[in-house]
Amino acid sequence: MAPTRSERLNAQSVSLWLALVFGAVLLGAFVSFPGFFPPMSPDASAQQVAAFYEHHQAMIRASMVVFNLCGVMLVPFFMVIVYQMKRMATPTQVLAYGYLSAAASGVTLFAVANLFWLIAAFRPDRDPQQIQLLNDLAWITFIAPVGMIVAQNVCLALAVYLDGRAEPIFPRWVGHFSIAVALAMVPAAGAAVFRTGPLAWDGAISFWLRNSAYGAFLVVMFFVLRRAIERERGEELDAAAELQLHAEAVR
Amino acid sequence: MTGATAALPARVSARDDQRSPKLDLWICWWVFPAFYTLFGLIFVVLTRVMPPPRPGVGVDQINSFFHAHGTTIKLGFALLMVFIGLASVTNGLVAFQMKRMSVKPIFTYAYIATLAVGAVPGALFAAFAFLAAVFRPDRDPHLVALLYDVGLLTFVGSLGCFTTNYLVLALAIALDKNKVFPMWMAYITFWQIATELLAAPVFVFQKGAFAWNGAISFYEGTVIFVVFLGCLIVLLRRAIQQQPMDELVQD
Repeated sequence: MAPTRSERLNAQSVSLWLALVFGAVLLGAFVSFPGFFPPMSPDASAQQVAAFYEHHQAMIRASMVVFNLCGVMLVPFFMVIVYQMKRMATPTQVLAYGYLSAAASGVTLFAVANLFWLIAAFRPDRDPQQIQLLNDLAWITFIAPVGMIVAQNVCLALAVYLDGRAEPIFPRWVGHFSIAVALAMVPAAGAAVFRTGPLAWDGAISFWLRNSAYGAFLVVMFFVLRRAIERERGEELDAAAELQLHAEAVR
Repeated sequence: MTGATAALPARVSARDDQRSPKLDLWICWWVFPAFYTLFGLIFVVLTRVMPPPRPGVGVDQINSFFHAHGTTIKLGFALLMVFIGLASVTNGLVAFQMKRMSVKPIFTYAYIATLAVGAVPGALFAAFAFLAAVFRPDRDPHLVALLYDVGLLTFVGSLGCFTTNYLVLALAIALDKNKVFPMWMAYITFWQIATELLAAPVFVFQKGAFAWNGAISFYEGTVIFVVFLGCLIVLLRRAIQQQPMDELVQD
């Protein structure tokens, strides 16, 4: 049985609410990870990094287990975007598939980064050089590989621009906004290279601009999607009413 | 079923506007040669992962390899962090053409899923390992040697994601009655599976034809991959050109 329309609409609304709840949970974990406020310096010595894990072991574990459990919970939210992209009057659905593929790979990176933090915290008596390496891998994996998000946002923007509907699924400014967020995140690739300055993983650009741009994207898309879902429901009610009128006229 | 039939009229009527009717497909097609040119620049010219440096070397030689190529490794893999998402766009295009085939879209979804998985161990892990290896000049040389193995074995030895990916593509082409791709492309794609199988011994040998830089495990596989990729790009172009404007693609 194909899902009825109301079921599909419910799936969308539920996915949005999941994103809201787990977004809040993830924000809580983000704020409580001792290495984010302020972000750890990439220039810290191996001894300093090892001492950090020893002193903050409980909070590191708690916050990163939450990242581990809840990070992938945002996937249904991205799939609502895929579904809405597929409704657009673009020539084909190719951009929605590109978005889906990039979202899957991007989420995998999020799922990997917290593992490195948790492994580093597992044995604080490990050789400090090894803890530092795990810490480097965690930070590099978390901050630097922005390419999947960039591809997602570029696919989304192109689809918005090519949407030929008289009343587009998403307003045009969503395309501009999506590109702007992608551009704000691009320089964070430098976090895998620089150990000081704004491009280092604790820097103004790689940490603060990157993460706040992405946070803003999720919040704005929550409202954009809510509006799109409401409009879809309206369109379907109209179509159903029209169909009924037609049926009565035939009778 | 309701979703597919309801969405189609909007998609067809959208063609009334004056934009190029296959613009999204052509954008994604151009991404193909652009991404793989960049891929070659990054992996061959800048980071020296292709052709791979020798596996059977000592800790000192590994460290001097990273010392000699540190700057270009940083530049190359920072670029990969930004542009890896283009791989997802190319996935989307192949997936879309697979949807035009007469087989049910099961292989299409499998194609997207396997490559979304493959991008992380098959390309990004090598980048993380090499970036971490050159991130700190004072890192324990033995840890640097570990990162060398992690980088090269994950890059050359990520077999299964691609084996499955080639399998579903080859099967889709072979079973397709719409002739989106010619039958010989299925045979070339089956050859790709053979090259992945022949790369399995890289986990055992440190020198010779089956080592990660060997004549069979690396060179033979790479030559066939380049042929495969060239054919895929040319055939995608042909498929887009031959695609009827008013074709309805399964949802």
